[in-house]
Amino acid sequence: MTMDDNKLTFEKITADLTHHIRINKGFVIWMGFLTVSLLACLFAYSLQLRTGLGVAGIRDYVTWGLYLSNFVFFVAASLIGMLVSAVLGLIGMKWITPITRIAETIAVAFAAVAGLVIVSDMGRPERLAYVFIYGRPQSPILWDVTVIVTYFVLSLMLLYLPLIADMAIIHNSKVAIPSWLRSIYKRFSLNFTDSPEQNRIINRSIRVLLILLVPAALSIHTVTSWLFAVTSRAGWDSSIFGPYFVSGAFVAGSAAVIIAMFFFRKNYKLENYLTDLHFNNMGKVLATVSLVYLYFNINEYLVPGYKLKRADAVHLQELLAGRDALLFWMVQIGGLVIPILFLLFRRFRKPVPVLVISIAVLIAAWFKRYLIVIPTQEHPFLPIQHVPQNFVHYSPTLIESMITIAPFILVLIIITLISKFFPVIPLHETAVEKGAEHIRFE
Amino acid sequence: MGFKKQVFLLLLLSVVTGTRVSAQTWVVPDDQKAVVAPMKFTPDMQKQGEQVYLKNCQSCHGLPGKDNWAKLTPPPGDLAKEKAQKQTDGEIFYRITTGKIPMPEFRNIIPEDDRWAVIAFLRSFNPKYVQPAPKALAAFTGRSVTLEMQYSDPMKKIVVTAHEKLKDNSNVPAAGIEVLLSVKRYFGSLQVGEMRTTNARGEATFEFPADLPGNNTGNVDLTARVNDPKSQMKTTPATGTFAIGVPTDRPGLTETRAWWSTRGNAPIWLLLTYTLSVIIVWGIIIYIVSSILKIKKLSTHG
Ligand code: HEC
Repeated sequence: MTMDDNKLTFEKITADLTHHIRINKGFVIWMGFLTVSLLACLFAYSLQLRTGLGVAGIRDYVTWGLYLSNFVFFVAASLIGMLVSAVLGLIGMKWITPITRIAETIAVAFAAVAGLVIVSDMGRPERLAYVFIYGRPQSPILWDVTVIVTYFVLSLMLLYLPLIADMAIIHNSKVAIPSWLRSIYKRFSLNFTDSPEQNRIINRSIRVLLILLVPAALSIHTVTSWLFAVTSRAGWDSSIFGPYFVSGAFVAGSAAVIIAMFFFRKNYKLENYLTDLHFNNMGKVLATVSLVYLYFNINEYLVPGYKLKRADAVHLQELLAGRDALLFWMVQIGGLVIPILFLLFRRFRKPVPVLVISIAVLIAAWFKRYLIVIPTQEHPFLPIQHVPQNFVHYSPTLIESMITIAPFILVLIIITLISKFFPVIPLHETAVEKGAEHIRFE
Repeated sequence: MGFKKQVFLLLLLSVVTGTRVSAQTWVVPDDQKAVVAPMKFTPDMQKQGEQVYLKNCQSCHGLPGKDNWAKLTPPPGDLAKEKAQKQTDGEIFYRITTGKIPMPEFRNIIPEDDRWAVIAFLRSFNPKYVQPAPKALAAFTGRSVTLEMQYSDPMKKIVVTAHEKLKDNSNVPAAGIEVLLSVKRYFGSLQVGEMRTTNARGEATFEFPADLPGNNTGNVDLTARVNDPKSQMKTTPATGTFAIGVPTDRPGLTETRAWWSTRGNAPIWLLLTYTLSVIIVWGIIIYIVSSILKIKKLSTHG
């Protein structure tokens, strides 16, 4: 931290971190755009509800198509909350303070929507409750539902707790925020006055939640990987699928956080808080988790490739040199190897280059889920006979693609709302860390 | 042939056959069109046909006359309508028998009489329909063989006897009949030993393996049938239950606690792990929520 930072006064920090909290034209246009797009996608979904899953490209061979790969992606992206807040936070990394709320927001948004993504893959969504009523405790699907709900609640609480002090500060300050928002702040800041007992409760709760978050996050993505790994299909039949998925999730999540950091820094003028140091460090985090992921990738492909069991051979052939080869190599090289190489250099961990790299990584991460979920289903162990050609090779339909885009729009809406109406960067913590005097709660 | 080439050929083959199948039109050979039902359609038959229809056809064709068939390609269509009704009985019979993707082939699923019953049912929606005079199938001229089965204690063997019914209705032992013996298992049946040919007394004997599990009293269900792949004979198989298996009292796959079992039979350790984890984690969450609610009261300003 430079000397300059330290001179920031409490008033300045408060003003800097809250000036975006107002309804302006840009926000209205952006939300309008998101809403209209969402409505278009919901219309596509209404077609699916009316006519059935046949409107999607999924058939007897590929029964898990875009929806399921999208689901895996969403669960993956939500894991970042745990990496930033819990792992980096618990080992005492101080620089993450301004990033924690961004990471938690992303976690909450993606976890909340992941459940909906699954519903889009259901032919009879009104029977969702049957999962609980008739679910078998032996089924990873029941475990998955349980851990995702738990993780979502933990993330939501971790988003909320640090906000209590922030909301108390803001609603008592002269900062001009809409009056309806001020009353929400008042209500949810729980009369926080920075008393020692109050702080004790909040700090202890955060600590306990952070500790709980680690196993919960590991579980959600491990269990999601088991949805695949407990079958004996080539490409899924793997004992390292858990760590493979978890490390891949950190890659996608880190990239998402970097993109969000860049956006908030620019639009909400947070250059003094989200500095090059943060981009540099997040770049390092991204490089590290990508290396771990690369390591698992090598294991995932090299070991079956060496043994070349019959089904694995067909699967690997298609991935490495067949129909899916172009996508596969673009994802592996463009989305993993090249980003790692670039990220090793400090110059590429500056905000703009690291943003570009993160966008490439995030897109590749989505297609990676596609490659994990879909190709192996195109060559089942038992041939399915007498089916039309379009059953054999999967190609998503337009309606299906729109239903796949809808969750992204929802995530953007959630992130936009949270970031618009609350400080993106923890106000109280930042003020304390920067040594600002006269932090006022009344 | 290299592996790559094999995959390529396989793909090519599936492309070629795939397009051929979907481009085909469904033509019925003329001699099949001319086939007529061997019996007169009666109201009873129509009722019988309705049951068969509801079970096998309704899922795609909907209810006759209601135009509520499933949206498939090609469209199945309503079978009470002109397009189906203008076809001969023989034509419809042929289509039910052979099927065409996505319509299943019912040759081995619905017995012949029932296929005719469905047609009788469908015709009941067509007031203009007049049934052509029934023509019985040409009398059967092949051999007619009946099997019997016994377990011979002294020999410790299964003895299958074949009898043939002659034109004068007399029964004589049938020699030279190929017999297959099978035992019923969990899934389908398992052939016992090799195929045997009956001797001059019409007998074929089978050794029964000493180690095959039976039910809890050692009973096994056996079936002997004639090997007649071209259906040149009229044959009657023999069945029998004998206490010659190893008595086995093994619970069914879903009767004990196991991974693969039903919900009620989940392994105890799994139930405990799941329930305990949920209780512990959610207990902590609830505790934290309740302590957060206390924050309000701890305000220094009341
Ligand atoms: C899996 C769906 C399915 C089932 C079950 C099914 N069909 Fe069909 N059926 C079709 C389709 C599709 C067609 C149209 C085929 C074509 O035109 O190429 C068809 C065509 C027919 C036709 C020819 C109709 C015409 O207008 O030329 C008849 C007759 C027929 N089915 C009778 C039956 C009967 C009787 C049953 C029950 C025993 C049955 N189908 C069960 C799907 C089905």
